[in-house]
Amino acid sequence: MSEPETRTDGKTPALEMGALALLVVVFLIVSLVRLQPFSPTADTASAIGIIVAAGLTFVMYSFLYRDNPLFKIAENLYVGVTLGYGAIMTWRLSLMPEVYDPFFNSPTWGAFWNSALHRTVPIILGVLLVTRLSRKYGWLSRYSYALMIGWGSGLAIPLTVHSYILQQLSSAIAPFHETVAHAAAVPIFSQAWFFELVLPALGAVVVMIGTVAVLFYFFFSVEHKRVGGAISRLGIFFLMVCFGASFGYTVMGRMSLLIGRVQFLLYEWLKIPK
Amino acid sequence: MVYKRLIPLLLVFVIGLLGFVQEFVPHPLSGQFREEMTMWFRVIGGFALFIGAYSLLHMHVARIRRRMAGWGYSVFVFLGAAVMIAVGLHNGGLGPLAAEPQDRMTWFKWGYENIQVPCSATIFSILAFFMASAAFRTFRARNVGAALLLGAAVIVMFGRVPVSEAVGGWLFGVGHSGVFPRAADAIMEYPNLAAQRGIMLGVSLGVISQAVRILFGIERSYLGGSDE
Amino acid sequence: MTRSPADLLRLRRTRHVIYLLVAAVVVLPYLFQLSMPFKPSSWAEKLYHRVDSLKSGSHVLLSFDYDPASSAELNPMAQALLRHCFAKGLVPIVMTHWVTGVSQVEKLLRDTAEEVQKQTGKPVESGKDYVFLGFKPGTSNLVLNMGENLKAAFDKDFYKQPTESMPALTGVQSLKNIDMAVDLAAGTPGVEMWIVYGSDRFHFPLGAGTTAVQAPQLYPFIKSNQLVGLLGGLRGAADYEQLLKKPADATRGMLAQSWTHTLLVILIIGANLRLLAGLFRRKRTRDA
Repeated sequence: MSEPETRTDGKTPALEMGALALLVVVFLIVSLVRLQPFSPTADTASAIGIIVAAGLTFVMYSFLYRDNPLFKIAENLYVGVTLGYGAIMTWRLSLMPEVYDPFFNSPTWGAFWNSALHRTVPIILGVLLVTRLSRKYGWLSRYSYALMIGWGSGLAIPLTVHSYILQQLSSAIAPFHETVAHAAAVPIFSQAWFFELVLPALGAVVVMIGTVAVLFYFFFSVEHKRVGGAISRLGIFFLMVCFGASFGYTVMGRMSLLIGRVQFLLYEWLKIPK
Repeated sequence: MVYKRLIPLLLVFVIGLLGFVQEFVPHPLSGQFREEMTMWFRVIGGFALFIGAYSLLHMHVARIRRRMAGWGYSVFVFLGAAVMIAVGLHNGGLGPLAAEPQDRMTWFKWGYENIQVPCSATIFSILAFFMASAAFRTFRARNVGAALLLGAAVIVMFGRVPVSEAVGGWLFGVGHSGVFPRAADAIMEYPNLAAQRGIMLGVSLGVISQAVRILFGIERSYLGGSDE
Repeated sequence: MTRSPADLLRLRRTRHVIYLLVAAVVVLPYLFQLSMPFKPSSWAEKLYHRVDSLKSGSHVLLSFDYDPASSAELNPMAQALLRHCFAKGLVPIVMTHWVTGVSQVEKLLRDTAEEVQKQTGKPVESGKDYVFLGFKPGTSNLVLNMGENLKAAFDKDFYKQPTESMPALTGVQSLKNIDMAVDLAAGTPGVEMWIVYGSDRFHFPLGAGTTAVQAPQLYPFIKSNQLVGLLGGLRGAADYEQLLKKPADATRGMLAQSWTHTLLVILIIGANLRLLAGLFRRKRTRDA
């Protein structure tokens, strides 16, 4: 988030406070009229919830005008609520079924001893993990981290080689193989020959050249001069187009989030028909 | 010291080697070992929350204790967390050991749906405004690279929305309404694919070399703490 | 570079005008309730047809790995997928790797099941017609665990019902027994984790839906057939709704999306034309 702006517009605080008070009154009137939370047929908790949600939405958007105390309160409240939610869900969905239930809710003694056999060591390792917070006993957490990091690293090597390297190299070469395999079946210089063989093959060549150029750009053990410099420059061009495409999609993503909030305000707060 | 440094490093190597080898061993024992280890990490993972929670709360306690600028707002972090934990444990009157009731709204669900969800959804949507402002004030094609970036961005941005089909039909004729979407697809499936594949291959090689360094004890930053 | 107060005021006003323009182009399409036709993307079509080709009773694992921050893009996708599954008589096995998204996913699943129940008049019950496994920590280790023994990884569902004899999980002992999986993800853990530790290892078809920010990074996986289809952002959700012939929130958002993108393109082009005009003016002054 950008730094709070210094006051340069000469407006007095009284004017801004007055505008804020007016906006709050308008918001409350609109909410009460559209949602009618206290009417006999209304679901009061749900209606008040929508009013609170809409209010928090506007408070968050007030940051666009200026960083302000209301925004900071909402921001910190959100952090606290998220932490509390995460704690409860971790208890309900992780610690209770994995640590509490196997010992205190075992259906049989057999199940209890099975849990004791399989779960005692990971529970101890889990407790040791938390010792990371202690300066004196933090070294105990190294056993838990060693296990997790070691397992993750060992597993990462074959899976990364297979899924990221071999599969990608295979798909880079596959179009050429398909072109060669189907070339005999398609009459040369025909429309099918051009659109089904030549164009895809050209596309695959472009992709192959781009991939090599980008890889070469990131290879710093060789100086990027003359031929190397030209390949590196080509890599930069491919990267620029890629980043441009990513930026285009990022704009789409951010606008979608705004559209989502506007839909909430219009359909659920103002009850505009869909 | 042996038990503070050497044994954890040996543990990394042994477990890492076992993790690597079990991928290639089809014997049922290998599958049972994998199932056991993955169950262990499921259990250990549940304790990781305490570390994150402590770090966050410790930071805000320090702000309050030292009366740093804006310390009053940190009180709301504790307020929000305390209330959510209290209503979560209350669990609609059923207590912390029961499943969440499905037949009615609880204060916990209310807090999630009406505080966490709107704040979370709104805070990232603010970036839409910043993006528009930055697009006008700072996105300039001052060189070839920047021009390529902006050109690709404009084509993809425009090609991925329905209005581009209407504009394409108006500019090039009804049968060619797909010009802009096809241009956007071409950018995604050729130069974007090439660059993403190159980045992916490079990153994968880096991941493998880092994993090997960790297994052989060359990379030790995960151990944390001092060099004892 | 220090700016004068007048400059800062001008910059602030320009920014606020742009903010108001953005707000206007997002809100106005909803007030006029217009719509705009569009053709679904080929990757959305591939995912749709893959799900559509499954026989009634097939098990589809749906991993909704996102939190409320990405719900605007991914909730419409999730809802469209669930509606498709229920319409085809498929059995969705729903889960999430993101602890902050659990309640949101549960609400969406329950609301969609109730909606389908109201429309068809037939009951749609948890444990029989769908399963919500909930959340467990472990990310890639959880996927590996599910790949060996799903019922050991989740011995109970989110509602604390035992999975061992659950009718909805009949015939599903591990990920090797599912007919298809679709991961809707907003980051990590997400699609790449499911590819590396899930579909590549246990050989089930995997589709994906992601936020628009992530979509460009997944093209290499589509081309290598590691993904059977991809829905990218709100447009991907709208594509799926159109293929399903059930326009909903994502389709309604397309006009606003069109206008905002057009505004941004105009702003970028306008700003660069100003730059070019400035360069020409400076060149003329130099030449003169």
